[in-house]
Amino acid sequence: MDHFPTNWGRPRNDAIDAYGTYPIHSRPKNDQDAFSAGVQRTQQPIVTGTSVLAIKYKDGIMMAADNLASYGSLARFKDVRRLHPVGDHTVIGAGGDMSDFQYLQTILDELTISEFTAQDGHSLGPAEIHEYLAQVMYARRSKMNPLWNSILVGGVKDGKKFLSYVDLLGTTYSASTLATGYGGHIAQPLLREAVEGREDTLTEEQALAIIENSMRVLFYRDARSLNKYQVATITAAGVSISESKHLETSWSFAEGIRGYGAQTQ
Amino acid sequence: MFRNTYDSDNTVFSPQGRLHQVEYALEAVKQGSAAIGLRSKTHAVLLALKRSTGELASYQQKMFRIDDHVGIAIAGLTSDARVLSNFMRQQAMSSKMVFNRPIPVNRLVSSIADKAQVNTQEYGRRPYGVGFLVIGQDNSGPHLYEFSPSGNSYEYYAMSIGARSQSAKTYLEKHYEKFADCSFEDLVRHGLHALRETLQQDKELNVNNTSIGIIGPKSEHEKSETPGGAFRILENEAVEPFLQTMRSKEELKEEERQALDASKAEEATGTAAPAADDDVQMSG
Amino acid sequence: MTSIGTGYDLSASTYSPDGRIFQVEYANKAVENSGTAIGLKVKDGIVLAVEKLVHSKLLVPGANRRIQTIDRHIGLATAGLLADGRHLSNRARDEAANYRETYNAPPPLKAVADRLGLYVQAYTLYSSVRPFGISTILGTVDEDGPGLFVVEPSGIFYGYNGAAVGKGKQLAKTELEKLDLSQLSLREAVIEAARIIYLVHEDTREKEFELEMSWIGPETNNTHLPVPQDLLEEAETKAKEQFEFEDDAA
Repeated sequence: MDHFPTNWGRPRNDAIDAYGTYPIHSRPKNDQDAFSAGVQRTQQPIVTGTSVLAIKYKDGIMMAADNLASYGSLARFKDVRRLHPVGDHTVIGAGGDMSDFQYLQTILDELTISEFTAQDGHSLGPAEIHEYLAQVMYARRSKMNPLWNSILVGGVKDGKKFLSYVDLLGTTYSASTLATGYGGHIAQPLLREAVEGREDTLTEEQALAIIENSMRVLFYRDARSLNKYQVATITAAGVSISESKHLETSWSFAEGIRGYGAQTQ
Repeated sequence: MFRNTYDSDNTVFSPQGRLHQVEYALEAVKQGSAAIGLRSKTHAVLLALKRSTGELASYQQKMFRIDDHVGIAIAGLTSDARVLSNFMRQQAMSSKMVFNRPIPVNRLVSSIADKAQVNTQEYGRRPYGVGFLVIGQDNSGPHLYEFSPSGNSYEYYAMSIGARSQSAKTYLEKHYEKFADCSFEDLVRHGLHALRETLQQDKELNVNNTSIGIIGPKSEHEKSETPGGAFRILENEAVEPFLQTMRSKEELKEEERQALDASKAEEATGTAAPAADDDVQMSG
Repeated sequence: MTSIGTGYDLSASTYSPDGRIFQVEYANKAVENSGTAIGLKVKDGIVLAVEKLVHSKLLVPGANRRIQTIDRHIGLATAGLLADGRHLSNRARDEAANYRETYNAPPPLKAVADRLGLYVQAYTLYSSVRPFGISTILGTVDEDGPGLFVVEPSGIFYGYNGAAVGKGKQLAKTELEKLDLSQLSLREAVIEAARIIYLVHEDTREKEFELEMSWIGPETNNTHLPVPQDLLEEAETKAKEQFEFEDDAA
């Protein structure tokens, strides 16, 4: 409330409330302090996650991401959860800066609670979450202060499957198979080959096999990946994120490589 | 109405715990010409009586489109209506932009209700002098809401606001149980009958003073297709086919008499006597 | 009856000669004119119930909610000016979200009630605003177990085991005192709450009313949710039965 009669009926903030009908009690602030002059914007990601994969299958969406957060070339945190449920219908998975991802989780949680308190039968589905994230990401990039992430948003609502991508530039893209980071180069061709045309017939076991195969290839080839990963499954029944799975790999071929195997020359 | 010491400021409670300025704002709504809203399982309809200042003047617009899935009819201060409807449009657009979803109608109505409440609590402001009937549709079907300057909003099956709206309300209360399963044409016909109740002695509904707002699938009297059942306003000639479907008051009385005879066995106590001007309530 | 302030009651920033602020007392009158709301704190949870006076049969039943949800685990029921009630629920949501943002934990009820009390009290200090015309019942199950608070128009708030505000407050309080709340289960509390609301309504004999109830407890996983339809109907049937016995006795 405004206690100062001199403010009543005063010129309003046209950008926000053109008719001055909502309580805008503060006069426009023009005083930027000296500290804010030295504030810098995000230049580079520090603690990072690598690829996230996702495909559409018969019952819904399957998404996978490993449990690693790297600190440059150091495999620093090996039990990080990069898949996050939002409401009852959606999962988001992110690669890139992990602190920015944690921030996104916080604001999405706030949004979920806000939607819950309305208690009016409406809920936010994957399409709405994706649109919201796209607006946030693009707005941040326009301020030259991006949230340094590549995010996959997947879910099922009202019987409709949804899978889409949004990144630090605010670019969005939708397809039946998606992958971020190295996954986009290495796994995407494998996913496309296996899934395209079969989005409505692939069973859960088949989808899991496709995902697992791609995760294995990524572990062999991506130097910032880990062989411990989780899979999220979203169907009409809801969201379920698995416990960490271990990836079986075979490094016996290394025996034959000079300098790595038994041979020294 | 009474005048007393507690009614000149927005920020003063009367000893009975009432806010007189807000109650006077409700009077402003009653000064506006009537607007009726009703809904069925498939459609929601608004009907409004337009006024003109004289023979040479045009008729005041009573309905506004807020978004594809929301429309309003106003009664009261038109300038306040413009400000609030602009705000509603901003809210609706914001929902589309941020979430890519049409704003749930109940939340839209709550947003203006909350805005109006602020105006009832601070000195130097006055309550809005306009009431709305809001129709909209979302995935739970068509809806009708009433918004009043007190900051209260309610969802109704049928409602009327504005001058002489009590007569319309009596008609609506008598017939509302039929509305859910009504065909669209029947629904509009009921609405027109109710609107007719608010007319003064020698006046009648015609193509100039009646406007109809519709949400729902296209009806047979409409010429153009409206994708998704979007909100549209019918005025002037477009209203004529609907006016034709109206039955005269004598016919209606006859129907009623027959219905009453048919249920002679039951002691029909009828509807409870309509309470004195219960248009809008402030406390629950 | 009503005490007329005569000159000392035109603004909240004026004391009367005997140290009262009449505007706040008049705000309490607005609460007393409204439909009753009650809250019960029992062994393992909370029940909130509201007597919604129906002013027109054209109203859609079940649509115009009086009980609001704050965060996931807090319920808020108001009696008084409904528009003020919405204002305060929105503020409560903001406070809860702010607490969550600052401390990264679900807000305990004590913190939310405290902030709301301060907010309501602020509106009793100045002539440029009027006090809120509502009493608010807040209930939760949080880390300290079940909790129930009532915030009054003066800004004062207390914790309760059983609370009632609105028209039928006296009668409801008498009924609540008869119950052994700490021994009731959540389901039993739902039945009792419905019974009390029906009893209170009989007394006032006003217009039609609709019963709205919500609960928090182990059955809802400590989330604030409306009481499910089947339990609501069962409670209403049992509540109506109490009058049949009276008729038989008479």
